[in-house]
Amino acid sequence: MSSVEQAAAEQPQSKSPAWEVKAAKQSRLAFGLAVGELARRDEKVAAISADTIDLFGLRPFLEASPERLIEAGIAEQNAMGIAAGMATTGMRPIICGYAPFITTRSLEQLRNDVAYANQRVVIGGACSGIVLAMSGGTHHAVEDIAIMRNMPNMTVIAPCDARQTWQAALATEQLDGPCYLRLGGKFDEPDVTELDADFRIGKADQLRDGNDVTVIACGALVAPALAAAEALAHDGIGVRVINMHTIKPLDRDAVLKAAAETGAIVTAEEHRVTGGLGGAVAELLAVELPTRMRMIGMPDEFAIIGPTARVREHYGMDQNAISDACHELTK
Amino acid sequence: MNSNYQAKIDGLKEDARHIRRNIWRALHGAGGGHMGGSSSAADILAALYFHHLNLRPKEPDWQDRDRFVLSKGHANAALGATLARAGFIDDSVLDQFYVYQSNFGMHPDIKMAGVEMSTGGLGHGLSVGLGMALGARMQGKDFRTCVMVGDGELQEGSNWEGAMAAAHLGLSNLTVILDYNKIQQSGTVTQMMGLEPAADKWAAFGWAVREIDGHDMSAVVEALDALPYAEAAPSLIIAHTIKGKGVSFAEDSFLWHNNMVTDEVYAKALAELGEPG
Ligand SMILES: Cc1ncc(C[n+]2csc(CCOP(=O)(O)OP(=O)(O)O)c2C)c(N)n1
Repeated sequence: MSSVEQAAAEQPQSKSPAWEVKAAKQSRLAFGLAVGELARRDEKVAAISADTIDLFGLRPFLEASPERLIEAGIAEQNAMGIAAGMATTGMRPIICGYAPFITTRSLEQLRNDVAYANQRVVIGGACSGIVLAMSGGTHHAVEDIAIMRNMPNMTVIAPCDARQTWQAALATEQLDGPCYLRLGGKFDEPDVTELDADFRIGKADQLRDGNDVTVIACGALVAPALAAAEALAHDGIGVRVINMHTIKPLDRDAVLKAAAETGAIVTAEEHRVTGGLGGAVAELLAVELPTRMRMIGMPDEFAIIGPTARVREHYGMDQNAISDACHELTK
Repeated sequence: MNSNYQAKIDGLKEDARHIRRNIWRALHGAGGGHMGGSSSAADILAALYFHHLNLRPKEPDWQDRDRFVLSKGHANAALGATLARAGFIDDSVLDQFYVYQSNFGMHPDIKMAGVEMSTGGLGHGLSVGLGMALGARMQGKDFRTCVMVGDGELQEGSNWEGAMAAAHLGLSNLTVILDYNKIQQSGTVTQMMGLEPAADKWAAFGWAVREIDGHDMSAVVEALDALPYAEAAPSLIIAHTIKGKGVSFAEDSFLWHNNMVTDEVYAKALAELGEPG
């Protein structure tokens, strides 16, 4: 039993944070729990909501520490500017927003007040990718990685499950500049990682070894990448799987090593293929070690409406498409 | 009141009841959605589409039509139900809410007949409506533009940029209707970020303001008939409403901002709304 699990087992009644994170199964809720934990550890931490209290499960936090939660209302620009201003005074604001709105609605505040001024603001973006597929294009966030990655000073993390979200959110304590965490929505995400895994911002997780092709995935596409690798093993194809939870700063060594050792790279993300994880990997390889690649993600269009799983399949953001790309590169 | 007028009001009330039933129908088919803010808007939508707006449902792109923008786009079930009753879209579309490749998603999509702008991100409609009103004025056209906003939505600063600009430009052909149901997603507007004194704020921005009960059909019709309220200023109707109006258990609660609609819940809702006339 790991130390975290032990802690959880010792106090199942009191619902320790570890117990709650394990029960949460959703990265947005794990992020909300981490906000509470960070606030317990540091009195300068405060949450900023934009009518997103329940989206992040913050009601218990609000009840326990009402003075530590600033409700900005449905006003993302204001929330972003408030956070930057608070940070200049030594506070540690954490913004809890919807990924589609908190990245694009408040974009200039993000660029000028947060990134340019290099303030320690942590931004959680729930319902990223096409989690809200049935809501239509106004609610899809398939350009957020590209946007955030293009902000100097910004750290960009797309955790692959609730547990890793908890770890990543706690790790932001050590950061000196702004950080964006890309989160899921209101359905359970498969557990991929352990709560006490060795997590470091900027250090990729190699989840599976293989020498024929490497899949570099982030967020919701890590679990399908693992499933594809497992299935391909039966066909005698050795697939290395890397969970690139930190897209910026990119773990260059992990990418270059995989390119050198497997000679073929598939990237997989719930994001447009332009400017995201695939873009980051391609930019590096084009200069350092040109390597055959396939990119799994959204094409240059606004996504159709429908249930998320169906829309993911429509655009080939699933196990089958990852598997096909691996086959193609190993033919 | 003459009997023609009363018949008209009764007809509009019946339209609103149909819209409410079809909101629940669409949401039930989809498994759930934004019940509260859809239902609070139903009476106003009925008065707009079946009394006030100058439209040609069979010719949705008719250049001189009045424009309506649902800025609080999450109430799209209500807009869809209204557009179906008006004949812009087929009734069967209401069973396509959120469905794979449908144009009838949780928020209005300009690809659907009768929808003037894709909305859903809050705080866009007023500026877009302002642009439509300018388009009319600059091209010498008579059509009028009407935008519906939510009270929580008014927390977005863009609304106040638009409010300032519309008054500055003296756009009397622009109307905003505030669906003032007092509740947003996570609680009451007063708790989250207060809006009061709403009427005074808009008046101070240069708007001509009227307040009505947004569920009193005669009051809604009279407020629309009296537009514009000033010769050289935009008009605001503050419609006091009840979130989830029409179904007791969904009324006046943020829990019904967006909620699941099971078979059982649906049956209870329809029973309260009554059989279609
Ligand atoms: C820019 C933006 N931020 C957040 C949201 C998420 N959201 C959808 S509806 C809603 C609450 C809206 O409240 P209100 O305007 O009062 O609508 P109503 O009560 O009429 O449904 C929120 C926060 C959004 N759609 N757009």
